[in-house]
Amino acid sequence: MTAADAPAESRPNPLLPFTGIAIVLLVWEFSPRLGLVSSGSVPPFSDVVVAAFGLFADRDFWGNLAVSAGRWAVGLILAIAIGVPLGVAMGRNRVLFALVDPLLTMSYPVPKAALILIFVLWWGAGDLSRIAIIIMGCLIPIVISSYHGSRAIDNRLVWSARALGTRSSAALFAKIVFPAALPQICAGLRLAIAISIFTLLASELLIRQSGIGSYMFTFLDDGQTPQVWACAALLATIAFLLDLGYVRIVHASLRWFEGDV
Amino acid sequence: MTVAAPGVDFKLQARDVRKTFVTRGGKQVVALDGIDVHARPGEFVSLVGPSGCGKSTLLYILGGFVRPDGGSVACDGAVVRGPGPERGIVFQEFALFPWKTVLGNVEYGLIERGVPPAERRERARRYLAMVNLAGIEGSYPKELSGGMKQRVAIARTLAVEPDVLLMDEPFGALDAQTRAMLQVELMRIWESTRTTIVFVTHALDEAIFLSDRIYVFSQRPARVKAVIDVDIERPRDREAMLDDPAYATLHHRLAQLLRSEESADDGSGRAG
Repeated sequence: MTAADAPAESRPNPLLPFTGIAIVLLVWEFSPRLGLVSSGSVPPFSDVVVAAFGLFADRDFWGNLAVSAGRWAVGLILAIAIGVPLGVAMGRNRVLFALVDPLLTMSYPVPKAALILIFVLWWGAGDLSRIAIIIMGCLIPIVISSYHGSRAIDNRLVWSARALGTRSSAALFAKIVFPAALPQICAGLRLAIAISIFTLLASELLIRQSGIGSYMFTFLDDGQTPQVWACAALLATIAFLLDLGYVRIVHASLRWFEGDV
Repeated sequence: MTVAAPGVDFKLQARDVRKTFVTRGGKQVVALDGIDVHARPGEFVSLVGPSGCGKSTLLYILGGFVRPDGGSVACDGAVVRGPGPERGIVFQEFALFPWKTVLGNVEYGLIERGVPPAERRERARRYLAMVNLAGIEGSYPKELSGGMKQRVAIARTLAVEPDVLLMDEPFGALDAQTRAMLQVELMRIWESTRTTIVFVTHALDEAIFLSDRIYVFSQRPARVKAVIDVDIERPRDREAMLDDPAYATLHHRLAQLLRSEESADDGSGRAG
């Protein structure tokens, strides 16, 4: 059989991804109804949907969501503001790298969730602790990706810039090093977004008091299982949309980049 | 070998340049062992030698990107202490700024110079036209072929009108046809701008076609083994030149010089 006789590879049916999701939803809907799982722990999908609409109408839901979103945004922005310049500078300066890298390496495997309690002891259960833990959680991936981004820069780009008249280190940094490292930095930020959401939620479930995690836990205490599921599903959806939106924005801004972000 | 007398009429001059590297294992490797090289204003000079002999290192020292361990480099009589727009450089891998468009790349040096927007746009367009690339100003480097990228790199450097153009095997990453085409383009551009050019290559036909003079380097530790004048009349026709007996003699001579270098390499330190 020659190559010409081989059957052409047919494209997978474009409905397949939806079919997979549909199957999961069907299982979710009917397993509790048929008694395959306890409906006390796993409410049917339709109940969860109804509960979700109930949450939309609840002012407390939006209030707590806003509180969480605020903490998350502040924590993430600070982590970026600290982590990106630090990582990029570490990539260009061996002394800085030698000073900072051991600290990062040591703190890398430490579960940030464990640090939450320490922060609470130190700073109380307010926003400061929450924000600090978010920063702790996503600082390392940001620094590492910024570091690698700046290390991977072709030095000839810097030399070309110098031979075209750029003199100061600061100017080279801003005009050449930073844009060249941007794709790697953006890859690290994507990870940081996911990690920061997770860390925020972990801290709120643990310490409660306010925020969407705390709000969700209250339903668990009251045995309102569909609401717990609805909260979780909504948070998952929000995280998914944030990630999707981020990737879209990066693709549009980094149109010049030859690889994948 | 006579050392060229300190001349004010040399555009670029390297005197007794030495460079030693320390390898990972701590060994000292002498890359350049007392190099004397010069280029007169408007001259096209090539540096040829076996792979890894240090000719690129010398080029970087000429440009001020690397400090020599001994000797000095002067450009227009002034000692070279660092890189600058007086000594433009073009690399084998193009080194275009990927986040900038073609126009953005060519305008870069002009922006650093403080040239006002209207004038710099016009100048950038002029140099793009000079390398036959009018019309692709808005494209990004990733959309261009190798030959086009290199032409953008050349335009980018020429736009700041450097005193000297340093070229590090600029056509090495290109296929044979594009390479031949760009050699002819470079000749045409050089005939009109008469920028002083120092050109590193290990393609002998390229060196002969392009240069006024060729420095032949020995294997590491590199010394100038010979300086060959290319007496073929200009303007040179790349195809017709191959039939010129003077070309054949030169090519033979250069090949001989390099062959004795390659066999002299005892394989103890195959340079990269």
